[in-house]
This record gives sequence, C-alpha cells and structure tokens, in this order.
Amino acid sequence: MRRSTAAVVGTLSGAALIVGVRLSVQPPAAPVAAPPPVDLAAGTPTPKPKPSKSAAGNKSGATSKPAAPKSGLKDGVYKGKGASNPYGTVQVQIRVEGGEITAAEATYPTTADSATINPPAVATLKQETLGAKSAKDVDAVSGATYTSKSYAESLQAALDAAKA
Amino acid sequence: MGTTVSIELTPDRPDDELRALIADVCDWLHEVDARFSTYKADSEVCRFRTGLIKLEDLSPDMRHVLDACADLWRDTDGYFDAYATGSLDPSGYVKGWSVEVAAARLLTAGSTSHYINAGGDIRMRGHHPDGGPWRVGIRHPWEADKVSWVLALTDGAVATSGTYERGDHVVNPRTGRPARGLRSVTVVGPDLALADAYATAALAMGEAGIAWLAKRAADGYDSAVVTDDGRAFSSANLPAAV
Repeated sequence: MRRSTAAVVGTLSGAALIVGVRLSVQPPAAPVAAPPPVDLAAGTPTPKPKPSKSAAGNKSGATSKPAAPKSGLKDGVYKGKGASNPYGTVQVQIRVEGGEITAAEATYPTTADSATINPPAVATLKQETLGAKSAKDVDAVSGATYTSKSYAESLQAALDAAKA
Repeated sequence: MGTTVSIELTPDRPDDELRALIADVCDWLHEVDARFSTYKADSEVCRFRTGLIKLEDLSPDMRHVLDACADLWRDTDGYFDAYATGSLDPSGYVKGWSVEVAAARLLTAGSTSHYINAGGDIRMRGHHPDGGPWRVGIRHPWEADKVSWVLALTDGAVATSGTYERGDHVVNPRTGRPARGLRSVTVVGPDLALADAYATAALAMGEAGIAWLAKRAADGYDSAVVTDDGRAFSSANLPAAV
C-alpha cells in the first residue's frame, strides 16, 4: 500500500512540475514514466507508521508496481524528496483531503545562489556541441573585452585591416 | 581601461560626411572616458568617489549611470555590482551605455546602417553594405582565430564577457573570489548596456548563470554560453546566421 502511494505521488510530482499548481487534481489511473525518487516525509495530520525509507526511496520498488488505486491516499500533506539540479533543489508538495489530492505545488529554493535563478517557469538553455568555425564570412567579432594591446591580435583587428 | 573601438558605416553619403560621423562618435567616446574613467583623478567618477563633488551636483549622465547600476544590482541579485571592488566603478555599465548613445547619435544624424564594436561588445543597426544583415561571430573561447557561433542581426546588441582574454577580472561579489564555471557568456538583445551587464553578471554567477540567463530570454535577451569544461549552451531564439 505504501509503495503504490509512493508511485502516485511520484507521478504527480512530474505532472505538477509541468502544469504548476492545480487544485483538485485527480490521481492518474496509471503512472507511465518512472518518477524521480520520492521520499515521503511525514504528513502533518497523518498518524504513523512512518514511511520506511527502503520502500519509499526505492525507485525500482515504486516503478515495478505501477498500479495506483484512487482510494489509497491518506489525508495529509506530503513532500517529495527534493530533486536536485545544478541550479538548486525543486521540491513538490501535495495535500490529500478525504482521499483526494486537493493541492499540488512545486516549491523552489529561496536561499543563497538558488534564489537568484529561482524560476517561476523553469526555462533552460539548450546544450549543444561547441562549434569552431572559420570567421571568413563575418563582419564583426564579439568576444571577451580586449585591451588596446590585445586588440592587435584579435580577429576584429584582422577584419578591420582587411577593410581598411 | 584602454580598448579599441571599430566603427563601420554603410556608405550612404559622401566620404567626408562619413568621416565626420565617425569623428563625432570618437569625440563622444573620449568625452565619456574623461568623465567616467576610474583612472583619471579629475573624472566625475573619481571626484564623486573622493567627495569633491556631491550627489546633488552630479551631471544628468552620471545620475543615469548610477541609477542604472542600482537597477542592475537589484535585477542581477547583486551579481552586477558597481562597488564590487570596494569603491565605485561603473565601467561595466558605462562602456555599453556610451556605445548605445553613440549609435543613437549616428541614427539621429541619419545613418541607419552601422555597427560600433567596443572591445568585443557590439551595437548594430540596419544592413551590411551588401544588403544582408550584419554577421557577428562569437569568438571561440580557446581558439582565438575561430568563432563558435555566427549571428545575423539588423538591429541589436551583442556583448560577450569571458575569462580567456583578461584572466580573472570578473569577481563573484558574493565570495570576493574570481568567477568560476563559465568561460564565455554572450548576451544578445536590444540594449548593449544591459546585454553587457547581464553577461558580466552571469559570468560572476558561474554555472548558475545559465539558468539565470534563460529567464532573460522572456525580455528579449538571448544568450550563448561556454563552460570552463567546454560545454556549450544557447537559448532557443539566439539569432544564428543561416
């Protein structure tokens, strides 16, 4: 039972990240993708048993049994284990009332460096292969600021010389 | 800081008029250097630093620069810091701003196609003399004779901050230590002063700057980044040349 709950929460974590906060979210019938590892922290009004880390934190355990009964949720507030990326930690929280999820939201880090890049929408730059092209069809070159001295060795200087 | 400025105007008028326009730009940039240099004791910046001139007596340009630096300090969460070295040094804003003003003066004078490249930071408008957009190469951060991206622009600014040219000159104001993580940060957008400041701030942030730059895209500032270990990143709307 714990395991299947973990699977539901995990899937919702993913959904919550994409759609943001949605009230009265119905638990999906069957989780599709492997959720990030989720650790169920104790929900506020929920009585113990406290979640066994080995079961809840075990990814394969959660994914190998994807059945997600709609009625298997205990009331309380549950926090997913923070998912770390290079820019900070994103943590997902859901509230269960009367066996239904009534709130799901993602919280972003608000301390230190993470606060500066704390995104309302998680935008990214795409990674690509670093190119090394010839500058032959270029009119101007942008680069780290050169001094008057190092200008002489710059591509821009070569372009200027070619046009002069 | 001494640097070199390259100016290209699409020849749309007699040669002597083109030269007069270029001379006007050079006069303005020398004026800015005299007024805002941190190396010249009689500059307005230095006189303000030493208390020889009071806040209420500052020139409108100086007030604009100070206001802009304060805005940028807030917008970059402190990573763009005109006081990073202890005393006021607004050079990180002044260079881009002065070129922005110079390009606006060219436009006012009727030159609709031009570029000004100040030490690697470029403001351009209009078209290349052959009619196409201006093609701007972004210098490869390890191979000085190569470019890692080629952009095509008809109106806008391209600013690059990097550690490969002048070493550890960008300091993370949070730690007081040289910025680490990013080797080259290029920001493309409508205003050179902001593009330059954003690039410098992202460089100071290190890898966290990549995500911070991603958010600037919503305001029309796209970016291309190379990390210290050679990974490359760019925003979806970077105006890459075809």
